[in-house]
Amino acid sequence: MIYFDNAATSFPKPMAVTEEQAACMRKYCGNAGRGSHALAMAAAEKIFECRSLAADFFGATGAEKVVFTMNTTMALNIAIKGLLKRGDHVLISDMEHNAVWRPIEALARGGVITYDIFSTFAAEKDVSEEVICREIRARLKPNTTMLVCAHASNICSAVLPLRAIGRICAQMGILFVVDGAQSAGHVPIHMQEMGISALCVPGHKGLWGPQGSGMLILGDGVLPDPLFQGGSGYQSLESAMPSDLPERLEAGTLPTPAIAGLCEGIREVSRIGVEKIGRREKELSRALCEGIRTLPNVTVYTPHLLGSVLLFNVDGLPANQTGALLDKMGFCVRAGYHCASLAHRTIRTPVGGAVRVSPSYYNTFSEIDRLAIAVREIAIRQ
Amino acid sequence: MRRETGHVECFCTVGSVTLTMRAQNVLQAASIRSQVVSADAAHAAKGCAYALSYSCSQEPLVRRVLENAGIHVRSFYKGES
Repeated sequence: MIYFDNAATSFPKPMAVTEEQAACMRKYCGNAGRGSHALAMAAAEKIFECRSLAADFFGATGAEKVVFTMNTTMALNIAIKGLLKRGDHVLISDMEHNAVWRPIEALARGGVITYDIFSTFAAEKDVSEEVICREIRARLKPNTTMLVCAHASNICSAVLPLRAIGRICAQMGILFVVDGAQSAGHVPIHMQEMGISALCVPGHKGLWGPQGSGMLILGDGVLPDPLFQGGSGYQSLESAMPSDLPERLEAGTLPTPAIAGLCEGIREVSRIGVEKIGRREKELSRALCEGIRTLPNVTVYTPHLLGSVLLFNVDGLPANQTGALLDKMGFCVRAGYHCASLAHRTIRTPVGGAVRVSPSYYNTFSEIDRLAIAVREIAIRQ
Repeated sequence: MRRETGHVECFCTVGSVTLTMRAQNVLQAASIRSQVVSADAAHAAKGCAYALSYSCSQEPLVRRVLENAGIHVRSFYKGES
């Protein structure tokens, strides 16, 4: 089996990640922030270590700005629902995952907010960042209070110019919420330099941590209302969640083994280097593209945007069938709409969506060649 | 058998375990040793809280370092460790 679905979750994880999870479970998995006995403190120290690493990695101003969540979706829900108020207007891009679109749409349907979608022109070649910025400015309204966008698409490697968008948001006094699900660990992100108010990332994709780990990292002065209420480990006599970050937004027991693993994942990504990882993934995607795009009945979408993700179809064959055939041949890829109907609409994929290949730093060119051969076999048989 | 009395130390109540650990890091950078402990109930205000224990001889420096770092301390007190 060859795994090419790292956009869904990265696999396999570095040995250090699984070993640290196991070590945590065996040696120090007390309940952090609940009491001060040796095991609770040992767990708390590991969690604080992970917060500090993450804060440095993403250019946040302090460990306390790092809020642990289960995944990016949870982080986005906290940021969106915790920061927006009745009457607010929001901008989102036309490449958003349902983790952005659904909470926004739910708030709009409930009459709480209104929103507009700005074009990223992802399907078109040679679009400058100035064109995207002009598009954003054209859609701003007097009551626009937030812009939410994916840094990198989960279906086609389109990457938005966060620095330029952050400048617009700063000028207009708008909150800038970034879905970093597909860029964390693949593309450098610096919150302060990019003017990001809230960064939502998974632990289990490009940071090579376990599932069950994610982070909401907040900029200075950004304080969402809590989405969840429960135990916070201190101020137990109060009926409300505490005002201090991060505990304000972390009700209940944290997934300590997952965070312990994530800590090592971030460490490993830092050791190798985000740019080096991104470059390798791009080279792998490019090699696959070269191997299949000349086939007369294979469509590679947005080949001008190759990065960590490649999207294609064998013409005339529904995407799910192509995916199933590749699975039988030993390749793990994801076919369909990838929880991103807005993005598929923008890229103009057919009914049934498309097949997504997302290699990791650890995939090899030999594995890519074998996938290309398999796709060619399927295409020829069509 | 005579029971030994505890060692008198100084404490500062910070609040959450995260902020307390941050405060500990700040003190460590200033070469001040401290330990994260549960704050005494009398000094925990709204229920449980975390505090740092340290040598009382370093209290003036502790106050200065934490204030300069923008770390809010809920209370300073003395007690037995």
